[in-house]
Amino acid sequence: MKFKAFLTDHGINLLEKRFLQALDKMGKVCHLYLTRDHAIFLHNLLNGDGIQSIAQFQKEALFEDYRISSQNDDRIAFTIDLSLLHRALRSILTIYTEFGGSHSSDTASNRLQIKLVKKLPPHSSQPMPFLTFETKGYKSAVIQDVPISKPLSRADVLELQAALDMAQDLPQTLVQVPDMNQLQSFVDRMKHVGDVLNVSITKYGDLHLQISTSLITLGAEFRKLKVIGEQARVPSGDENLTAQTRTRRAIDKGDAMSVQVSVKHFFKSIQCHLAKPDCAFYGIAQQGSCLTVVFQFFVPGTRQTDKSISLHCRLPVLIDSGTN
Amino acid sequence: MSSSGVETESPDLICELDNVQGMVDALTSVRWKRHQDAVLELSEHGIVLIVEDTGCLQAKVYLQRELFVRYEYSAHGRPRFGVSLGLFVDCLNTFCIPGHSGTIEFQYPGPDMQLLLKSTDSLSSCTYAEIRTRIPDTISWDYNFEPAGSTPISFTVKSSALKEAIDDLEWPGSSIQITLQPNPPSVTFKGEGHGDLQIDFMYYANMDLLTAFNCDQTVSHSYKYKFLRATTSNIPSSVIKDNRGSKLTIGRGGMLKVQHLVSVARPSNSHTHVDSVSYQPPSRIAYIEFFVKPQVDEETAYDS
Repeated sequence: MKFKAFLTDHGINLLEKRFLQALDKMGKVCHLYLTRDHAIFLHNLLNGDGIQSIAQFQKEALFEDYRISSQNDDRIAFTIDLSLLHRALRSILTIYTEFGGSHSSDTASNRLQIKLVKKLPPHSSQPMPFLTFETKGYKSAVIQDVPISKPLSRADVLELQAALDMAQDLPQTLVQVPDMNQLQSFVDRMKHVGDVLNVSITKYGDLHLQISTSLITLGAEFRKLKVIGEQARVPSGDENLTAQTRTRRAIDKGDAMSVQVSVKHFFKSIQCHLAKPDCAFYGIAQQGSCLTVVFQFFVPGTRQTDKSISLHCRLPVLIDSGTN
Repeated sequence: MSSSGVETESPDLICELDNVQGMVDALTSVRWKRHQDAVLELSEHGIVLIVEDTGCLQAKVYLQRELFVRYEYSAHGRPRFGVSLGLFVDCLNTFCIPGHSGTIEFQYPGPDMQLLLKSTDSLSSCTYAEIRTRIPDTISWDYNFEPAGSTPISFTVKSSALKEAIDDLEWPGSSIQITLQPNPPSVTFKGEGHGDLQIDFMYYANMDLLTAFNCDQTVSHSYKYKFLRATTSNIPSSVIKDNRGSKLTIGRGGMLKVQHLVSVARPSNSHTHVDSVSYQPPSRIAYIEFFVKPQVDEETAYDS
């Protein structure tokens, strides 16, 4: 089992400035799943009821000279502590940038290598697996070892791959969030009022958020949003109704779906915008099985989707809706 | 409360406010603990919010009708209802998202006696809330503040200085004695507990700090630290930055009244705090009053 690659400057920037801080909000520990073509950060895919997040990079988006081999179809997966990874990367960058990154004249000699190693940690007789970063500056060379879990067994990798395949389904209707910052501060304040959030999405392009407890009902409706996937024409005479009535009618007509999720999960999903996506879309999966948020990244300077990066989250739905 | 006949016609009150943040600031000032029941009283003059603690501390926030851009009052009598203060403030807070300076509409009562809130600043988004109300307690809340003598005994001090002094007195804690004396005109805060701490405001020494002083006889009363602290601890920092004066008056029996002013003016498009120091029409000010009962233990009773 071998993995060795060099992080590109673009890759460093993506991880250090954008993705690691976003992913850290999803949960401290995640799976890092490496295949021949992709590096994928996965949260809560195998276990539990938490928010699932999937950040997938084509190997070219992060690395060059990417080499991987394993007896399991060249796939390697392990769990890693994101804050440790982030710290190690930040620390090694201080040395790496002494040379001005790989833009210096002496390109070949200054690169940031990442590889899987087994080492004997101090005061231990058992070798342990590490993800190791290595680079050098003017006067020093640095190695940062990030402890990782034992690589997943073949069966576990298969299970992870199956869960990943399952998680790729897109909802039939997705609506675009108008302003992530505004939505974030709104939900941040809203979460003081209750724990359970009703999310309704219509094919007309409405996103309706509501918290309802025995003491208060608090909601916000965003309308005329961009819709991807199945759409429907806005019924006439809908303008003067309340948000609640409009949503109820849309659900009755089969033009909308509604699910209940944890406010905390919803807030976490918004925090993904630390990864600086260009757009975000919310949608409800078929049969209301989960709430999905899909982030879109553009090729810098264009409006074209950057297909080498993808990020989406799936929020578990709270069962037994209707009761508070 | 409101008779069934009125319900079918127009609600008791529909009003609109264009600066929710100002209202949040004003209400936050009287939020001294997590769970507080507040009573709202509606009248043709405006809205008064009242909170109380163990019969020793009462606070009132006066939101006069002039603060509102629209105020349609059609009730007979003065409808009163109870809400949870924390929930009300948290709820209002969601209506003041930065860069979202909309108008908020209040309506009472809703079909189920709720307080209804709605903001519709754009066609494409709206925020709404329905807050369940309670029937308030029937006991009289009024603390019956009466002047102590022919001239009121009072002083006005910069809000930030008052807050700082009271914060400092946390160290001795428990009981704080406030003394006003006419000669030389000064105010003394004295804490005795784990140690002694005395803070003097001398009128002539620092007229920027102590901006007004009225006292023709020496008076001295003790107050529980936690109640005194409640009068300043929750004033939002934006209001402290404004640094208007806070007026403290001692009434008959040592009842202490603390008054603050909070701006509810619509922020101008430049930055708010810089401007609000300059003149603002008095109508866009929310008045906040605290009433603190003095401690009546054996010692002070013996003093008087």
